[in-house]
Amino acid sequence: MGYVRSLRCRECGAEYAPLRITVCERCFGPLEVAYELEAVREAFTREALAHRPRTLWRYRELLPVVEDGARVDMQPGYTPLRRAGNLEEVLGLREVWVKDDTVNPTYSFKDRPVAVAVAKAREWDLEAVGCASTGNLAGATAAAAAKAKLPCYVFVPASLEETKLLLPRLYGATVVPVDGTYDDANRVALLAADRRGWGFVNINLRPYYAEGSKTLLFETWEQLGFDLPDVLVTPLGSGLLLTSVDKAIRELKDIGQVDGRATRIVGTQPEGCAPIVRGFESKDGRPVPVKRPDTIAESLAIGDPASGHEAIQIMRRTGGFADAPSDAEIVEAQKLLARTEGVFAEPAGGVTLAALRRALADGRIDPSERVVLLVTGNGLKAMHVMHSEFPKIPPVAPSPAAVDAFLGGIPHG
Amino acid sequence: MVRLVVASPIAVATRGEREIDIEYEGTLAGLFDAVAERYGREFRQRIFDGDGGLKRFVNVYVNGEDARYLRGLETPVGRDATVDLLPAIAGG
Repeated sequence: MGYVRSLRCRECGAEYAPLRITVCERCFGPLEVAYELEAVREAFTREALAHRPRTLWRYRELLPVVEDGARVDMQPGYTPLRRAGNLEEVLGLREVWVKDDTVNPTYSFKDRPVAVAVAKAREWDLEAVGCASTGNLAGATAAAAAKAKLPCYVFVPASLEETKLLLPRLYGATVVPVDGTYDDANRVALLAADRRGWGFVNINLRPYYAEGSKTLLFETWEQLGFDLPDVLVTPLGSGLLLTSVDKAIRELKDIGQVDGRATRIVGTQPEGCAPIVRGFESKDGRPVPVKRPDTIAESLAIGDPASGHEAIQIMRRTGGFADAPSDAEIVEAQKLLARTEGVFAEPAGGVTLAALRRALADGRIDPSERVVLLVTGNGLKAMHVMHSEFPKIPPVAPSPAAVDAFLGGIPHG
Repeated sequence: MVRLVVASPIAVATRGEREIDIEYEGTLAGLFDAVAERYGREFRQRIFDGDGGLKRFVNVYVNGEDARYLRGLETPVGRDATVDLLPAIAGG
């Protein structure tokens, strides 16, 4: 089984052989992959990493794919970790880095968990793959399925932004545009997954799928010179990315690759769909479901996040917090990131910078802390957000005088 | 007939049966009582926690609507309703 030991229930601790099980059979809680850590410790060394390919598969001992031949060769991951010096100057911060996942094969971090899930689908010889998605996951699954020569079925809200509805079709997937919210699409996808022998990457392949997202943290650690930040800011949709980041940190600790230093994990989602943030603020720490999400950050419009409670526990345990910027703050953050660092994040990526600004203003993040922002998706996939920010410019006549007038009289020559 | 659809992981509680037709009209609580009559105590133990509420990772939908947005276990179930009993998995 490679380095995989078992599937373990995060809720009740029950353990299972690492087969095709979706949820705990005792309490229906979420399952996670557990590894043979002693064996991993010996193989997962800095010397070994130095010689490995520049893709997420370099962390193979802590990924649950057993057969090399099952991997789909899209080369996701190993994205840039950019030192954001201009942003530091503007915000008055000592050190901030942007983990830039806008450059992945389908322009979002979803290529990571999909790489693992589709490889497992191939290991198990499943006849098709699919997902329920707010957009990015549909594109990622469709592209990986195309490369793997597998049929693909994606369930999305019909109201999704045009590019995100179109991309999976372009890659050859069958799109089911559900007349409802993401949660409606998810429900019918769950029922469809149950009736058919298909691998729905974020449903019945979920424990394996989640492992791919850990690589965002592994890369950050490696790219910081085998070190971790003081604060890591991540967007919150279902909360699964945050739980995967935390799992990655715990695994690095368990194999002795990082010391006990705590990284504060901060989660953020838009004000118009903030079930996890509201839950963080509440006494019992349970997410407050949102029936009709209302935000431009469609990627994060998940009203009933199943990993919400865990995410809240992690933020509390690590000394982090949860924050919900407004859509206006998110758009300003997208613009600021583009203007200072040349990175165009979609709203779900911009929300991390929006949260950082708010936290600097109210003191929840100190300017001396080393901060990493996870920018999880490319802004080109959500252009409609920017159209109203940049109204059309009336054409300038093709003469030097007209150009001078347009530029405000800057002389030439 | 009320059509009760039970996803596989939860169908351990209904002897593996995933689509159950049952003559019933009333509330969700009453529906589950009727189902428990058919499948025994095991059904209640699998689906409910110690306090009599649904287990945290079990979601119920009545005609496509999450019962938590309706009246919980007091949600009315009409004679031809569809009720889905699904594990709580959402998002990615």
